[in-house]
Amino acid sequence: MGQTPDWVKQLKPSGPQGHELLAAERSKSTLPVAKLSELIHTKEVLERRARILEILKSEQVFDKSQNYFKGRIERFEAALARAKKLRSLRVKHGWNLQEYRTASDLISEPGPYGLHDSMFLVTIGEQGTPEQRDFFLKRAENYEIIGCYAQTELGHGSNVRGLETTATWSPQDKGFIIHSPHLTASKWWIGSLGKTANHAIVMAQLIIAGKSYGPHPFVVQIRDLKTHEALDNVHVGDIGPKFGYNTMDNGFLLFNNVKVPYISMLARFSHVDPSSNQYVRRGSPSLVYGTLTWVRSTIVMQAGSVLARGVTIATRYSAIRRQFQDRDAPESEKGENPVLNYTMVQIRLLPLLAATFALHFTGTRMMQMYQQNQEKMSIGDANKDSKRGPGPEETSIGSDILADLHATSCGLKSLSSTIAAEGLEVCRRACGGHGYSSFSGIGPWYADYLPTTTWEGDNYMLTQQVARYLLKSARSVLSSQPPTNDTTRILHNYHSRADIGCAFDILSSDSDIVDAFAWRISFLTFEASKHRDEQKKPWNDLLVDFYRLSKAHSQYMVVKNFHEALQSHDTISQVDSETLEVLKKLYRLYALHTLEQEGSEFYASGAVTVKQISLARTNAVMKLLKDIRPHAVRLVDSWAFDDWVLDSSLGREDGKVYEDMFYRASELNPLNQITVNPYPESAVLFKKDEREERRSKL
Amino acid sequence: MTDFTDSLKPRHDGTATLQAERGRSSVDVDELARHLLSRDGFLQRQKKVLAVLSRVKLFKKDQQMNLSRPDRYHLALARAKALQRIVRKHGWDHDDYKMCEYLVDEMSPFHLHMTMFVTTVREQGSEAQKRHWMPKILDYDIIGCYAQTELGHGSNVRGLETTATWDPAQKEFEIHSPYLTASKWWNGAMGRTATHAIVVAQLLLPRSDNDKAYDNYGPQTFIVQIRDKKTHQPLHGIVVGDIGPKYGYAGMDNGYMLFDHFRVPKSAMLSRYAEVSDATGAFTRLGHPAVVYGSLTFVRGQIIMHARLVLARAVTVVVRYSAIRRQFRDRDSTSEQDDEMKVLDYPTVQIRILPLLATTFALHYTGEMMYSLYHKSRETIEKGDFGPLAELHSASSGLKSLCTMLAADGIETCRRAMGGHGFGGGSGLVGINADYLSKPTVEGDNWMITQQVAAYLIKKMTEAVKDPSAPASDPTASLFQFYLANRDHRIPQSPVQGSATDDQAIVDVFQWRAADLSYRAYHARVVEKKPWTRLMIQLHNLSRAYSEQILVTNFCNSFSSSSSTLSAPTPAVLRTCFRLYALTTLDASASSFTLTNAVAPHAVPVLQDAILDLMAELRPHAVKLVDAWSIPDWLLDSALGRSDGRVYEDLFDRAHRRNPLNGVTFNVDWRSEEIVLGSGDGGRGILAKL
Repeated sequence: MGQTPDWVKQLKPSGPQGHELLAAERSKSTLPVAKLSELIHTKEVLERRARILEILKSEQVFDKSQNYFKGRIERFEAALARAKKLRSLRVKHGWNLQEYRTASDLISEPGPYGLHDSMFLVTIGEQGTPEQRDFFLKRAENYEIIGCYAQTELGHGSNVRGLETTATWSPQDKGFIIHSPHLTASKWWIGSLGKTANHAIVMAQLIIAGKSYGPHPFVVQIRDLKTHEALDNVHVGDIGPKFGYNTMDNGFLLFNNVKVPYISMLARFSHVDPSSNQYVRRGSPSLVYGTLTWVRSTIVMQAGSVLARGVTIATRYSAIRRQFQDRDAPESEKGENPVLNYTMVQIRLLPLLAATFALHFTGTRMMQMYQQNQEKMSIGDANKDSKRGPGPEETSIGSDILADLHATSCGLKSLSSTIAAEGLEVCRRACGGHGYSSFSGIGPWYADYLPTTTWEGDNYMLTQQVARYLLKSARSVLSSQPPTNDTTRILHNYHSRADIGCAFDILSSDSDIVDAFAWRISFLTFEASKHRDEQKKPWNDLLVDFYRLSKAHSQYMVVKNFHEALQSHDTISQVDSETLEVLKKLYRLYALHTLEQEGSEFYASGAVTVKQISLARTNAVMKLLKDIRPHAVRLVDSWAFDDWVLDSSLGREDGKVYEDMFYRASELNPLNQITVNPYPESAVLFKKDEREERRSKL
Repeated sequence: MTDFTDSLKPRHDGTATLQAERGRSSVDVDELARHLLSRDGFLQRQKKVLAVLSRVKLFKKDQQMNLSRPDRYHLALARAKALQRIVRKHGWDHDDYKMCEYLVDEMSPFHLHMTMFVTTVREQGSEAQKRHWMPKILDYDIIGCYAQTELGHGSNVRGLETTATWDPAQKEFEIHSPYLTASKWWNGAMGRTATHAIVVAQLLLPRSDNDKAYDNYGPQTFIVQIRDKKTHQPLHGIVVGDIGPKYGYAGMDNGYMLFDHFRVPKSAMLSRYAEVSDATGAFTRLGHPAVVYGSLTFVRGQIIMHARLVLARAVTVVVRYSAIRRQFRDRDSTSEQDDEMKVLDYPTVQIRILPLLATTFALHYTGEMMYSLYHKSRETIEKGDFGPLAELHSASSGLKSLCTMLAADGIETCRRAMGGHGFGGGSGLVGINADYLSKPTVEGDNWMITQQVAAYLIKKMTEAVKDPSAPASDPTASLFQFYLANRDHRIPQSPVQGSATDDQAIVDVFQWRAADLSYRAYHARVVEKKPWTRLMIQLHNLSRAYSEQILVTNFCNSFSSSSSTLSAPTPAVLRTCFRLYALTTLDASASSFTLTNAVAPHAVPVLQDAILDLMAELRPHAVKLVDAWSIPDWLLDSALGRSDGRVYEDLFDRAHRRNPLNGVTFNVDWRSEEIVLGSGDGGRGILAKL
């Protein structure tokens, strides 16, 4: 394809230009975008991001323009080159961990060092003895050892106890033999394992003298440090292309009776005594779940901003995209309507915009809870009840903050990642046909985010843990134990008032909305408790109920946290009263929209009447959409995504949607450097290929 | 490559597991398959075509996910050409060719040529135009595409910016793109392949009193040569190219195209229904202008027919894999020795996939209904009677919206129900998901086109209110009359009472809800004169309710006719599917049913137990029901959904033996710029590709 002719270069989009439309949107509202950004991210984070972004933008290796065109191997090669560059930038600029993570977030593609930097280092740090940390961590932090975290297997996902890989204690060698007895024992899906890692933390069933002691972590070398080839009797590789995440080498791994030394087993909480060949537990095994809980909190925290990317793109584009005339518009106002004026588009996008804030505030709160938990743990009561089993559900209520945190993190991880993943797809579809183009920036982002809904515990499976926790709490209330935390408090409240009933004014009181959500979850909990504890229904038959229970509980948590965040001094002191009012409207929109969607449960619990649900739907939600509409663009602006990060034609801050779509298609697209022979009778496919010519000119 | 992994076996034998599943149900798979797929000899054709294609290396699917975008197009073009040669060699007809496309399962660069392009010429060309173009099209002397949507305009044809201005002096049209947003965009096969395009443009004719001023006669279709026959370069005054990568459709060259005062002869305008007079430049309509939308309606009909097979494919994969995949022991189990449970026995898995299995059948019976409705209406249109077009257009757009949404969301639900492996290429649902996701927006955004249904229903309700005793012209009219006669003394129904389910009551509540929502929309718009934009959400819900009513009614009607010939237990199993589809749909929109007085509020809480019971009834037949959809393994291209259950062997084989990334060893030391170990390229290779 030749040069773009002048008559094409001179063309402009018709009608009002994108930048004019966005400027008009921004002038409709006086929300202080910068202030709101600071409320969301803090000044410190915004400053850090801006500083690092400058550095990244100046490196050619991070250029994104060809990402969408490449094949799997090229994608991986580029990702590896980027990971290396990132590491050398960290050394060069002396970045701390936070700065390094910020840089990874800005690049926003999964990278081959990803699992080394996170799960590998964290697990050794948390579960290794001081000697093991000395032995492994130093070299790992220096990238002599590059690691990954090998838990899931071909035949096993969320259920750690079902893993098939074995680590058998060998009394002669005082070491272990790692083995894969079946094909389904193959480690599978392990990030950074396929091509990158030379070590792996392998979760395997510990077997001593024929008896199994459950899954334990082992640090195992899998590749030669020089040749980078797999060691003998280790079989490792990449599992192939996926829905997304194609820049990551998710891998498989099989062992054929591989001997590993004594130091391999991470032994902070349990070990094998080499002299007696006995299994010795020396700490709370619940702590094993600490890492997972931390990961889940992060997921909740991120869900808001993950979704905000999609909402930013769809909102800006909807303010520019025009389609159909308003049927009722007077002749003088002819011309098509920005689709954001359509209630049909608003009802899809604005509740999601509200959800970004709801998830953000909930995530912040979760991280605080995790920190508190860490502090409590370090005070040193971890050994208190070491007789209990390894499952978090075995912990006793009220005495252990971990139970509360773990239950909360499961449910909220499930709810928030589902909201974010499904919300991104709603955003993509709300962009109409152009949403399907990779240049929308939403599709690839969605594809990379999707595994979050299954990893670290499948969203459906996780909900059982919440249900167990709630049932246990219900039992404690029914046996007249005094409330010890928020869950038992609301259950207790419901239990004492169930006969009197309730009346919540959800349409005019913000706190009544929270109470209505609390009422509904309490009702559902006692219903489930009746089914399980009184009627003795099989656990399996109740799983659907449990799923609903967990969802309802997490929705309550989100509504409650969002509401509390808007009452907090922290928030009130940072924004003016008008901004706070808009945030409260977002709160109401999120809460009432959710309530209306789950109407039958609220109605069945007696928390609200059918009339209230009907009014919420036809009046309150519609009114909120109308009130929030003028602020929509400024609200997404306050999430402060740089165009470089969004990498989207549709979501550009300056509204040059069509210019950018056309530029990427005509100038960046390698397919246009090919001329084909289209006629079926000819075997020639590409009669002219100018790709090489272009490349050699670079 | 032999190594210790060759002798490893999965812990549980998948083949035996699936065999056991099949042994538990006495549904006659072959008989049900014939019942579902006999139309136009589908099953025999599938067998015949599969036997040929599966032996041709070019159609092997296992490497395509690794390829870059230009390579995917390269492959797709090679396949498109090869198919033409194969079709000619075997003397196959058009239905055989369509079967090839279905089995190859990739949007072909020739796809638009044989669908929208040829259909438009056939339906909108004059006799002379057809004589000129049809032989060239059928011989592939020219290769066509259909250029309607633009960069700035999707569903709204009337908003298109490309113009075709009549020049009375030269007796030519000048096609022009006045703005960047006038660029044609998304048009399949246009980017690199097509030599000709049907261009939809605003027809501008000079006023008779002032030839400097023009009147707009709305969008018309023009057949335009866009590339040179020899060099295949764009003609002078045209800029055309591929729009770049998409979510799916990697093999298709969706294109953009701009015109710079490009001249075409008068004969370019397809003129069966409209013509510009040579002498006066006056515009003459030769028929009903609504027929321009005829081919759009046809495409929608096909999309609906396709939706059931697409969904059936996803459901096939997830049902088979869930029958093999095990996770966690039953919590009530007392023995450590018990195996982990098959996930298909979990109600949390069932609730996601069994209603979708039921939905495949719901789509089927409505697809059959659409098929005959289209052919019935088609005949009367050919006779010049456009009366039925309104009903057809309305029904097709609402159903298209609902069915594609059910299928697209259904694929994704199935994919996620498979846990981690659903995300992998071996699921076989990655490509289909990405390709099919275009459907909810292609041919009219699902949310936008539902307005047409609502507008139609408001019109019908207005008529019914005006004259409630006029003879009913169609089922919708009689439903509305019934509704108006009974709305004052409606008793909300309870379709499930105790252990009894009343199928007629199910149909009644779906119909009543649709009628009541129609009445509310009528009242809001016609009586209260509320603004249209404010009503859109309500109207969208109305369209959905109306289409769900069609699905439920057709499914139920099938019991009185065709399926009664099936042997036991199949009719009873299909009835369970009907109830499961209807009750899960009802449960999901419960408040809409209670607010419209269709269903009594106290009848809602019992639904959940009824649904659990229905799922338990359906569970033993699940594998055989998906078998009946007869999706060949070759089409499934899924390790998880293999009919022989060798899930883990296949996943491992794909990863270990068929994955090109494993042929490369990388240098992972960050201190070294080298990327591929031993290449010594110092990282330059990758930089050149950025």
